[in-house]
Formats: sequence, structure tokens, C-alpha cells
Amino acid sequence: MTELPALSSTLADASSALRRRAAVMHELRRLLPAGKALRKEGADNILPFGLAALDDHLPEGGLSGEALHEVVPETAGAFPAAFGFIVALLARLARTYPLIFVLPRYERRRHGRLSGHGLNSLGLDPAQAILVEPAHRKATLWAMAEALRSAAPQAVVGSIDRLDLKTSQKLHLAATDARLPLLLVRPAQTLEASAAATRWRIGMAEAARDRFGLYARPRWHLQLERVRNGRPGEWLVEYDHVAHRFSLAAALADPALSRSASDRAFRRAGRS
Amino acid sequence: MNEAAEAAGLVPGESLADARAKAGFLQVRGVDAAADDAALRRLTLWATRYTPTASPWQDDNGADGFFLDVEGAAHLFGGEEKLLADLAARLDRFGLAARLAVADTPGAAWALSHFHHAPLFVLPPGREAAALAELPIAALRLSSETRNGLRRLGFKTVGALIDKPRAPFAARFAAELLRRLDQALGRVDEPLVPIVAPPLYHSLNYLLDPIVTAEAVVARASRLMQNLVHVLVRDDVGARALRLCLYRVDGAVETIDIGLTAPTRNVAHVARLIALKLEALAAMEDAGFGFEAIGLAVSCAEPMPARQIGLAPLPGVQSGWGHGDCAERCAALIDALRQRLGPASVRRFAPVASHIPERAEALTEIDGEASQLSAEENQWRTPERARPLLLLPQAEPAEDVMALIPEGPPRRFRWRGMTYQVEAAQGPERIGAEWWRHREPEPTRDYYLVEDDGGRRFWLYREGLYGRETHAARWFVQGLLA
Repeated sequence: MTELPALSSTLADASSALRRRAAVMHELRRLLPAGKALRKEGADNILPFGLAALDDHLPEGGLSGEALHEVVPETAGAFPAAFGFIVALLARLARTYPLIFVLPRYERRRHGRLSGHGLNSLGLDPAQAILVEPAHRKATLWAMAEALRSAAPQAVVGSIDRLDLKTSQKLHLAATDARLPLLLVRPAQTLEASAAATRWRIGMAEAARDRFGLYARPRWHLQLERVRNGRPGEWLVEYDHVAHRFSLAAALADPALSRSASDRAFRRAGRS
Repeated sequence: MNEAAEAAGLVPGESLADARAKAGFLQVRGVDAAADDAALRRLTLWATRYTPTASPWQDDNGADGFFLDVEGAAHLFGGEEKLLADLAARLDRFGLAARLAVADTPGAAWALSHFHHAPLFVLPPGREAAALAELPIAALRLSSETRNGLRRLGFKTVGALIDKPRAPFAARFAAELLRRLDQALGRVDEPLVPIVAPPLYHSLNYLLDPIVTAEAVVARASRLMQNLVHVLVRDDVGARALRLCLYRVDGAVETIDIGLTAPTRNVAHVARLIALKLEALAAMEDAGFGFEAIGLAVSCAEPMPARQIGLAPLPGVQSGWGHGDCAERCAALIDALRQRLGPASVRRFAPVASHIPERAEALTEIDGEASQLSAEENQWRTPERARPLLLLPQAEPAEDVMALIPEGPPRRFRWRGMTYQVEAAQGPERIGAEWWRHREPEPTRDYYLVEDDGGRRFWLYREGLYGRETHAARWFVQGLLA
């Protein structure tokens, strides 16, 4: 019976190990929220929405500032909304470096051309924007990759129709290497697989109106379709171009009520 | 007069019938002065492979040759004789019989090339008077009246004029005579008009074997740029425009101009721009037998901007391209985009003082000056009203517009084949035509910001005021709001 003390000591070891494990787990659980906050502060290369509902939902506390993001209009007619969403997001950044917009010339007929006053009225200083208009698709891809590689701009915005997985991987890598965000507007139809970190689907929503029934702030229906290391989500947000602030649409509470109110207001405004 | 003509016994000034009688095989073509001129220019351009200052002869020199200023270039070939021999051999290969002479003044060189018995002749410095003395009066490039006048007075050679008192000649002949004499003897300067502006900094490389590939051209060009960098650093300037000359074996010259957004001395950057440009131009496709010489010239140099190193960019810089490193990276990016996509494809927004939406802004090309725009020059006012993010290239007509009252907002409209039900409309915002622009007054526009039941936001306008300007107003969609 010489093994008995040894056995009891092993048992004691095992129970203390269990207890230690429980303690470690408890400690980790306690640290988890703090760690989340810590990560948010530590990672500087983030495009935050400044809206807790969205930022907390995204795994990095905002859009990654060194990745490819796809923005897709819900229907073909929502292209301006998708574009406006991107412009609003970029208008929130500090104004130090230029923004490169790579918009192919062949899309100008269909969607119209980017307007400086339009950028201005969404709160983005047009003097900061450089418009690049390539003549064909190959040149568009080249121009986006080139802009990323130069590491000169603050962000690159592009619009492209077809994009296979391999090209999207290349673009994503270029964005990661340059530590710059690349925001791509894609056509409304169903899309092929891509290496993008997030894919947003933007739908139009009735604009926010002031108490006189006048257009005040654009509203968009955001659907986070795909996100790496995160869950999809859906929000109705509005954007204030003066404060550069996203907020959840207040009218969400009772759409029927707000619709009729704004409708009445519109009639008054329209007749005046 | 070429050798075949001399062998047949033809003489300049002969009548065509006589010439036909002497040489039955003669074919006659009219003079094509423009083609002659173009050919001479091409040849002169080719000759810039010897020296950057090459000047084709105008009519007063006979328009059948060119001057080369070989001062400082001859040693590259091992002396003036060797340079002449090389030039003659190459011209011979093109099938051109040439007479060449080197002298201290263009006038003397012209005279010797035309009237010296040797086809290649190099005059030692300071010997113009002696060399010209025995040449005929025609060697002075004089008009025919002056020549005839001199002949009547018994002057046959230049030597007879050289040491004579000047006053009688000045009194009897046009100023031309003494001017030409002085020019030949080097008493007054004769400025040459170069075919291309001689660059400030120039580097040229002769290749033993012709090169055909774009990679080889880029490699050579970057070596030339490396040579230039030393000189640029010495003078504390950077290149704003570069010209790359590719001399083809068969005598043609490809010139490639490269503009830069900001002065640079960066070899890698220039090499990359050249590679992009070659790609875009497909200049390498007709390389023929290859390029035998490559020249790189700085056609515009500017002082390098002062750089601030090691400080973070200033906060709140409005028209910002950043500072230091970032500005440089930006300039490099814009250069690259411009080379590949064309300068008109890379632009920035500039506000224009106008209320007409399609005229209220301009897209301007970016060059060095524009990128340094100060905040005041590129000032966008705080927006008063919402403006569409996307403007249609041209306002497109909206059809079947239904409004409750003629001057009211639209309730329904059709655009691009779709009918939109208007849920909310805001307006009108009346924008009058700019009467000072057009003789015929343009109709006034009433703009409406319109939202349809799906949330799409449009910017529509009604053209013309009811009753005053039109009876059937037309509607247009001009822009789309986010």
C-alpha cells in the first residue's frame, strides 16, 4: 500500500488542476469585454461608422482599413445610394490625403458622372478627390491596383462589373499590403464569390425630412451580406452630412405614422 | 545634280526638251516643296544623334542641308574627322551623297561644303579668311542681284572682298553683302535655329548592337537618367518634362515626351513612366531593325521643392496632397496614371461660378501647378441645398409627366422606360438662364427634388415658364441623389 499516498497526491493534483482551469476560464471571461475594447483602441486602421449598433456588430469595430469591401446596390436603381454610402463613409475620415475615384468612362452613360457639388453636399471636400476615368475594364483594374500600390491616397473607390475570385484576391492583397481600404461598387445582380472582407447591399429608403417636410438627410437600408469572422446584419441608417454622422433612422418605430405625416408635410411644401 | 545626271551631261537651267534629248530615260516630276521640307526635317531630327543642336537650312541657305553644332560633341567620336566620316558613312548607307565640312562659323562651313574640292573637309580654327579667299563669290550665300553686281565690278573670289575698305561696299550694295562676309569670317554671330529646342540636360548612348525590346530600352534609359541625376543634383533642379529619343537603324526617330506632375530626380520613377508609356504607345511594335542610339533629355527643369522631413502632416490642410513624402507619392501616382491612361483621364474637381448645374463645376487636368492649389483657389462653398451625387452627362427628357397644376411638382413621370410614382417633391428652385451667354434667351428652369415610392431620389426640372416662355413645358431628369 505504498502507492496510496501517491494516488491521493495525484488526485489532489487533478482536482487543483481542475480548479486552476476553472479560475483561468473565469479570468478569461472577465477579460473578454475588456479585450474587445482594447482591440478596438489598438487597431488604428479602421473606418468606423461612429454608430454603436454597427461598429459593435462588426468584428473589428468598423470596416477594416486595409481590405477590399464590396458595396452592391439592391436594385439597379439604387446605384446612387450605394455610391452615396461610400462617399458618406469616406467623408468621415480626416482630410489629409487624396481620395482616388476610379470610375470607368463606359459607365458614365448609364449612371451619370460624379459631381463635385454632389460630393460637397454629402460632406466630402471635392478638392480632396481625384477622378480617374479609364477607358476599359483592364485599365480600371490596373488603375485601382496602381493607386493602392502607390500608398499615396487615403482610400480608393472603384466601380467594376465583373470580378472573378482570383482578381478580387489580388485586389484584396494589394489593399492589405498598402494598408488602404478599397471600396468597390458592384452591379446589382447576384455576384460571384470574392475575397472581399465585407459585402454590403444597399437599398434606398425614404429620406429623413425636417418638420417642414423638406429633404434633410438621406436614408439607406444597409444589409451586411457577408463579413469575415462576423455575422450578417441589417439596419436602416440615415446620414447627416454636416455632422458627418450616421444614425439609426428614428422613423423605424412607426413607419406608417411617419409616412403619413411626411406625406402631409410634402403636400403643404409642394403647394407653396 | 546627282552622279547619273552628270554622267548624262545635264546642266542646271537647261530646258526640258534639251534634257530629254540628252537623256531619253528622263522622267519628270513637279517639285513637292512640302515633301522636301519634311524629308529634310526628318533627316535633321535624325542628326540630333550627334548633337542636340541641329538646324535645317531655310530658303536663304538653299534648304538642302543642315548645320550641326558639334562643339563639345566631337570628342565623343574621337575628333571632328571621325565624326564627319561616321556621318558620311551613315548618310551613304541611306543612299544620300553628302558634302560635309567643319568650320568655326556656320558661314564658312556652308561655303566649304559647297565649294571645297574635298567632299569631307575640316578647317583648323582661325583659318577662315585663308580658306575662303580662293572660293567664288557664290560661297557667301548672296542673292543673285548682289552676285551679279559684284561680277560686273570684277570681283570673282571672296578673297578679293576680304581686305577691301568697307564703306564703298556698304554704299553700293545691300547690307546683306557685308553681313554675310562678316558671318563667314566670324566677325558677327549667326544664331542657329535648332529643329528642337536644345535641352538643358542631355544624355545620349550609342549601342553596339541595336536593341528591340521594351525592357532593353527601359534599362538603357534608366542608365541615362542616372547620368543626368548627377548634373541635376549639382544644379539643384528636378526634371518636369523629359524627352526620350529612340534612333532607329534605318534613320527614323521615335520621340516620346513624358510630363511629370512634380520635379523629380528619381531614376526608378522615370524608368517606370517610360515603361508605361512604351506600353501605351506600342512604340516598340515598329522597332524595325532596332534602335542604335538612345537619347534622354530634360526638356524642362524646375527647382526641387523644399522638403520637410520627419514631421507628421499638418492637421486640417484642406486642399491636401499632404506634405513631403506623401506629396511625392501622390505626384508619382498621378504621373503613372497619366502616362498609361492619358492626361485627360486623371482630373480633379474645380468649382465654377455659375448656377446652371452642368456649368457649375469643371474637371481640370492635374499638372504641377494645379496640385499646389491653395485653399482659396479651390474653395467649395458650404452647400446650401442638396445637390445630386451623380449628374447625367446630358439631361434626359422625362415623359408622361403628370402634375396636379401646370406649375406644380410632378406626381408621376417616366424615365428610361420606367414609370415612377412621386411620393414627395420639394421645389421649385428656379434657376434663370445666363442671358449674357446666348443671343437667344434660354428658358428658365424650375428644379424639383423628387422622391419616388421606392425611395429613389431624382433631380428634375421643368424647362420654360408657363405662359411667358412656353405653352407646353418639357421635363428633364438631370441627376440622381444618394
